[in-house]
Amino acid sequence: MRLWVYSDLSEDIIQEYNDARYLHRDFSVWDSLKTGLSVKLQYMLTPAALIDLLAILPAYRPLRVLRIFVLFRVLKLLRYTKSIKQFLEVLSNKKFELLTLLFLLVFIVMVAGIAIYVVEEKLNPNIESLFDAIYWSLVTISSVGYGDIAPVTDAGRSISMFIIISGIAMISFSTSVIVSAFSEKLSELKENRIIEQINKNKSFLLICGYGQLSKMFFRQSETEILNYIILEKNPEKVQLAIKDGYRAIHEDASRYDTLKKFNTDHADITMLCLADNDVENIYISLNAKSISHKIKVIARASSPAMVSKFKYAGVDHVLLPNVVANTMIYTAITQPTLHKAIHAILTGKNIARIDEVHVNYYPIVIGKNIEALHLKKNKLLFLGIKREGKFMFNPPLDTSIEDHDILLVMGRQISLEYFEMQYAGDV
Amino acid sequence: MSTENILLFGYGNHGRFIAKGLKEDGFRVKIIEARSDFYTKAKEDGFEDALQIDVTQDEELRALNPDKYTQIVCMMDDEHLNVFLTLSLRSLYAECYILSLSDSINTTKKLKMAGANKVIDLYEVSANKIHNILNRPVATKLLEKFFTEKDGISFQEILIPEDSFLTGMMTDDIDFSPFGVLLLGMIDEELGHAFIFITAGINHKIDVGDTIVCIGDKDKLEAFEEEIKKKES
Repeated sequence: MRLWVYSDLSEDIIQEYNDARYLHRDFSVWDSLKTGLSVKLQYMLTPAALIDLLAILPAYRPLRVLRIFVLFRVLKLLRYTKSIKQFLEVLSNKKFELLTLLFLLVFIVMVAGIAIYVVEEKLNPNIESLFDAIYWSLVTISSVGYGDIAPVTDAGRSISMFIIISGIAMISFSTSVIVSAFSEKLSELKENRIIEQINKNKSFLLICGYGQLSKMFFRQSETEILNYIILEKNPEKVQLAIKDGYRAIHEDASRYDTLKKFNTDHADITMLCLADNDVENIYISLNAKSISHKIKVIARASSPAMVSKFKYAGVDHVLLPNVVANTMIYTAITQPTLHKAIHAILTGKNIARIDEVHVNYYPIVIGKNIEALHLKKNKLLFLGIKREGKFMFNPPLDTSIEDHDILLVMGRQISLEYFEMQYAGDV
Repeated sequence: MSTENILLFGYGNHGRFIAKGLKEDGFRVKIIEARSDFYTKAKEDGFEDALQIDVTQDEELRALNPDKYTQIVCMMDDEHLNVFLTLSLRSLYAECYILSLSDSINTTKKLKMAGANKVIDLYEVSANKIHNILNRPVATKLLEKFFTEKDGISFQEILIPEDSFLTGMMTDDIDFSPFGVLLLGMIDEELGHAFIFITAGINHKIDVGDTIVCIGDKDKLEAFEEEIKKKES
C-alpha cells in the first residue's frame, strides 16, 4: 500500500510519453517503467519499509520462526510519533553536556575498576579478572549495587565510597541537564503545536500585535472567532493574551521564517496588522505579501498620509482608526439621527444588517429581474448591484440580474437568512 | 440646522478634524483648549472664536455659559482631563448634551459614568470596521464611500415639516422611486425617540416632527427634500 502511494508510476509514464512526443522519439513503456520501478526499489530498501516487511512476514506459516519479528511492529509506531523526534532534537541540543558526562562516567568506571583490580585481585575471591572489576564499578556507580561482588579491604572500600558519591552527583547532574533542555524547549514545542493546529484549517486569521485594538476586536465579535492566532513579539503581552484566554504565540511577524511556518500556499490567510507603529505594520505587510500574494492583509495606519505607502506595499485594506472615529463623531454632531442608524448598521445589529448576496452562489436568480425577487415582501431593502467593479445604486426594478453580480440588501438577520434559504434550496 | 452652536473642548489630533469639518458645513464652533501650543494652532488655522482656559476651574467653565450651546463635544488629547471635564460639565449643567471621545476600553465606562450623553470609543468603531471588512467586504467599501464622499450617494436625514405631502401617509404606501431615493428608516415621535429601520417590517404613519433618513444621490436627495418642504398644493 505504502509502496503504491510512495511514487506515481503513471505519472512517470505520461511524462516519458510527452517527452517522446516532443522530441519525436520512439516511446517505450519499459524505459519509463524502469525509472518508476527504480524509485520503488529505493523505497523498499529504506529502514521504514524493511521494518514493515519484517513485521508482516510471520503471517506466512512456514516462516513462523520469524515470529520474533512481530515485535518489530512496535517500531512501526515510530512513524506516527513526532514526539520521539522532538525528544531526540531536545537531547541533541545538549549534546556537549551529555557527551562530557558520558566520558566522565567511562573514565571513573575504568579508573575505579582498574584500581579495585590492582588492590583486591589477590585478596577478593570474587574478582578474578579485569572484567569483574569493571562490572563491579559500574554496578556500584549506578547505585544498583547487586552485592555479588563486594570490596573486602579498606582501600577497596574507600574506592567504592568515592565512586558512590561521584555516581550520585552524575545522575543528578544528567537529570538536570535533560530537564533544563526540555523546559527551554517547552514553550517552543507548545507554539509549534498551535501552529500545526491552525494550519489544518482552510482559512484563518493572523493577528499581529496584541494591543487595545486587538482586544476590542475580540470583544466586539458577534460570534466566537474560531481560527486565529496572535503573533506578538513582546513576551509580556503574549502572557497577557494567554491570560485573557486567547491563542497567542511569541513570534516576530516581520520575520520571513515566522510566516513561512504557516500554510501560506493552500490556506486562505487574512492578516490583521494592528500594531500601533506604522513602520512595523508596513514591514509586516510587505513581508506577508512577499511570501504569498494570496494572503489578504488589513493594516492599521496612523494618519491619512500613510495610506499611499500602505497601498504601495500591497495592503488590501487600510484602516485608519482616527479617521473612522472622527467621521463617527462628526456625524454624531451634525446628524444625530443618521448616526444612530449608521451605528446600528456598522455594529451589525440583527435588525439592520447590510449584506452581500453573491449571485454566483444562487444560480436560480440569474436572469430574473429585481421585482421578481419580492424583496419588499421579505422585508428587505434593496440598495443596489455591484457589477464589474461598478456600483449601481437603486437600479430600476426591471433590471435583470447577471452572473457574478453582488446584490446589496439590508434587512433583519432572519429575512436575510430566509432569502438565502429560498434561493439556495432549489438549485 | 446649520445655525447650531457647538462648544468644542480640545484641539488635538481629533479636535482639529472635527473643527475643520464643522466649519466647512457652516456650524458655529467655539474652541476651548488648555494647552497653549494647541491654542495657537487653532488661531493659526483661522478659528477666531478660540479660548485658552484652565478647564479644571469651575468658574472658568461657568464663564463660558455652556448651556447656551446645543452640543458640547469633549475631545481633549489627555484622557484624564477629558473624563474630569465631562464630570465637571455634567455637575454644573445637568441638562446639556455632552459627547465625548474615548481612546481606551476603560475610559469609555468612566465617561459614561461621568455623565456623557454619548461616548464614541475609538477602538470600538475600528474593531467593528475590521469585522465588517472581514464579513462583508463589498458592502463595507460602499458604505465607506457613502460617508466620506460629499457628492454621489450619501445619507440624509430630513425632518418632516408641517403640511408636507408625506404627512399622514403610511411608509408602505409611499412610492419613493420617482425621487430616486430609498427610505432607510425613521424616528416616529409617537413611538419614542428610537430609530426604526424600514426593514423592521412595521408600517408607520408619517407625522409632522418625525425624522426620516433617506439614502440616494446627493442631488436627488436635495430635490427630494425640497419636494417634501413644499406645501401641499
